[in-house]
Amino acid sequence: MKKGLLIATGMFFAQLVGAQSIESLSKGHLSGSFESYTQLYKDDDAIKAFAPPNNFGSNNFLKVDYTYNQFAVGMQYESYLPSIQNYFSTNSANALNASKIVNRYFKYTEMNYSVQVGDFYEQFGSGLVFRSWENRPIGINNALEGVNVFIQPTDFLKIKALSGRTRKLFDYSNSTVRGVDVDVDFSKWINKKDATNPISLTMGGSYVSRFEGGYTGPVINFPQTVDAYSRRLYLDVSGFTFGVEYVTKGADPHTLNKNVFSLGKALLINTSYSKNNFGINLTGRALSNMDYRSEREVVSADANQLMINYLPSLTKQQDYLTSNIYVYSTQALNESGFQADLFYNFKEGTAIGGKYGMKLSVNFSYYGALKTADDILSVGTSNYYHDANIELKKKWNKKLETIFTYQNIFYNKSVLQNPAPDVYSSIFAISNVYKYTKKKSARLVLEHLSTQQDGGNWAAGVAEFSFAPAYSFYLSDLWNYGTAGVPYYGASQGISSSVHYFNIGGSISKNASRFSLSYGRQRAGLLCLGGVCRYVAASYGFTASLTTNF
Amino acid sequence: MQMRIIVLLTTLFFVSEISLAQNNLPSVKIKSVKKGKEVAFSALADDAKDTILIVSFFATWCIPCVTELDNINDVYTEKQAAKPFKFVAVSIDDSRTSNRVKPFVNGKGWKFDVYMDINSDLKRAFQINDVPHVIVIKNNKVVYQHTGYIAGGEDELFEKIKTL
Repeated sequence: MKKGLLIATGMFFAQLVGAQSIESLSKGHLSGSFESYTQLYKDDDAIKAFAPPNNFGSNNFLKVDYTYNQFAVGMQYESYLPSIQNYFSTNSANALNASKIVNRYFKYTEMNYSVQVGDFYEQFGSGLVFRSWENRPIGINNALEGVNVFIQPTDFLKIKALSGRTRKLFDYSNSTVRGVDVDVDFSKWINKKDATNPISLTMGGSYVSRFEGGYTGPVINFPQTVDAYSRRLYLDVSGFTFGVEYVTKGADPHTLNKNVFSLGKALLINTSYSKNNFGINLTGRALSNMDYRSEREVVSADANQLMINYLPSLTKQQDYLTSNIYVYSTQALNESGFQADLFYNFKEGTAIGGKYGMKLSVNFSYYGALKTADDILSVGTSNYYHDANIELKKKWNKKLETIFTYQNIFYNKSVLQNPAPDVYSSIFAISNVYKYTKKKSARLVLEHLSTQQDGGNWAAGVAEFSFAPAYSFYLSDLWNYGTAGVPYYGASQGISSSVHYFNIGGSISKNASRFSLSYGRQRAGLLCLGGVCRYVAASYGFTASLTTNF
Repeated sequence: MQMRIIVLLTTLFFVSEISLAQNNLPSVKIKSVKKGKEVAFSALADDAKDTILIVSFFATWCIPCVTELDNINDVYTEKQAAKPFKFVAVSIDDSRTSNRVKPFVNGKGWKFDVYMDINSDLKRAFQINDVPHVIVIKNNKVVYQHTGYIAGGEDELFEKIKTL
C-alpha cells in the first residue's frame, strides 16, 4: 500500500515532467514549507536537567505540494535526529531516531466535490467525535491514511465520508476508522431573499466507527468495534449565536479508561451575543468516558497518540511565563464545567477610553467531576480547576501601550498531575511596549505569582528589544523564590533552593522565513498549545528553530 | 529510497523555478464571522482583482497577532485614504477557541472582515508554519509575505504595499 502510493505519486510527477511540456507545467504550482527545531542539551544539576545520551535533539519537517488545475499531490518528509526530549512520549524509549516520508496524498477538487487518497486531515463538527490534525510543537499528528470524500449535491447539503488508519509515529494503527458526516443548512427556507440580517440555522450529524481486531481475552462479545454518534445544531440570529452538540459512544474498554465497559457521552453547549465593541460568550461541556482512541493499548505516557476525537481544555490560553505553570488539562473520562468570556472596547474619545481607547477582556472558567460518572447532567462538588482573568489593554499615546493582567487560579494538582496538594494562586502581570522610534521598540514584562502551596511564589520578567520588521532580542527570567515553609517547585526532583530559569535569545524574520536562537533553562512541566499539553522534563542548553516556505 | 526522494525534490525545485508565480490560489472554503457564510478563498481573491488584498492569519490566543491587528485597526482609515486596499483577517482558532472568535472580534470593534479556517486547511494550503503571518495578493498572485510581528511591522507592511 505504502510503496504503491509512492510509486503512483512518482508516476504522476514523471508524467508531468516527461509527457507534458514545460510550458503546461508552469500552469501548475509548486509550494512547500520547511520547519526545523533543534535542541542542544547540557546537564544542569541546579534544575535537575539531565541531557540525553547524545546531548542532541532535532525535529525537521519538509512539506511539498504540487497543484495542477483540479489536481493536487503532496507529501511530508519528517526527520528526527533524534526527536527532541519527551516529544512523542514521556517514555524516552518512544523517541524516534529516523527519517521518513510520512504523509502523502493525491487530491482531486471540483466546486461541489473532492476526493483525497492518502494521508489527510479532517474534522466533523467541533471535533468532539472526530478530528485528525497536526500540532507540531506538541507532537500530535493523527492524520488518517485512506480515502476522504466530500460531496455537496445541493447548496444546503454537505456530506463527508472517510475511511482509514490513524498515523502512529512512523507507522499506522492496527485498526480502521470510518466515518460519515452530514450538514444541512436550513437558512434558505427561513430567510426572505436579500434579508439584511439573515438567520443561519444548520443541523448536522456524524457517525464514526473504529474497528480493532485481535482481541484474545476472555470476554465474550468483546466490543472490537466502537461506534460513536454525534448530533449538532447551530443557530445565528443577528448578534446572537447558539450551538449544541451531543455525542454518544458505545462500550469502549481500553487501558486509559481502566477497561470499563460503560458508554461514552459528551455534551457541548455554546452561546454568545455580540455587537460592535461588545461581546459575551458562554460555553459549557460535560464529558463521561470520552477518551476515544484508534487502539486499546495506549498508555498514559503516550497520551497524545492515536486520538480519534478532540477534547481541548476550554479555558483561556495564556502567554505569560507564570500563567503557564498551572494550566488545566481536559479530564476526558469525567468532567463537567463551563467558561465565560466578556470583551469590551472603550472607544477612543470616550471618558474611559481616552484618546486611544481601551480594551477589556474578562474570562472565568470552572471544571470539576460529575456527581455520578455516567450522568453528564449531574454536577458534582469535586473541583479540578477554576480560573478568573481580567485583562486591560490601554494605549497611552502613539508610543506607549500597557496590558494589565490579573489571574486567580485554583488547581487540583493531585488530579491534574500527580499526588500533590491543591494550589491556590494569584498572578499579576504588566506588559509595556514602548515604541521609541518608528522602527525601534522595547517591551518590558513583569509578573508575579503568589501561592502558599506547592512551589511557593514566583517572579518573572522579560525585556525585549525589537527592530522592525526583522530583528528581536530578549532576556527573560522566571524565578521560583519560594514562600517560607513551602518546598520549592522542583522539591520532588531534589531541588531545595530558589532557582532562576533564565533565557536569552533572538530572532530574525525576513519575508516568509524566521530564524530564532535561544539559550537557557526550561522548567519541567506541561507545555501547552491549542488546548493540548505535553509534559517536558527540565532542560538546559541551546534551542534553534528555522521556518520558511516557498 | 533516500536517493529517490532527493531526485524527486531536485526535480520539484527545478520545476518551481519556472512556476514561482502563484496563479491558482487555493479554493479552500473559509467562513465569514459576520455573515456565517462559507466562501472559497480563490473567489475572495478574484473579487479583489487588481486591488491589493492583505490576508492576515491570526488566532485569538496569539498576543503578537492580536497586537498587530489592533495596531492595523488604529491606522486602518488613514491608510485606506492613502492607497485603497482590501484587508481580511483569517482566524486559525480551532474548536477550543473558535466559539470565542465572533464575540472577541466584535468586542474589539475591528473595521475589517474576519474569516475562520477551522481545521487550518487554508493555513496549510499557503504553507504557513506559524501565526502571525501576512500574505499580500494582487491580481491573484502572492506578491509579498511576512511571518512574525514586531511593533512597527505594520508601517513596513504599508510602505511595502505602496510599491506594489
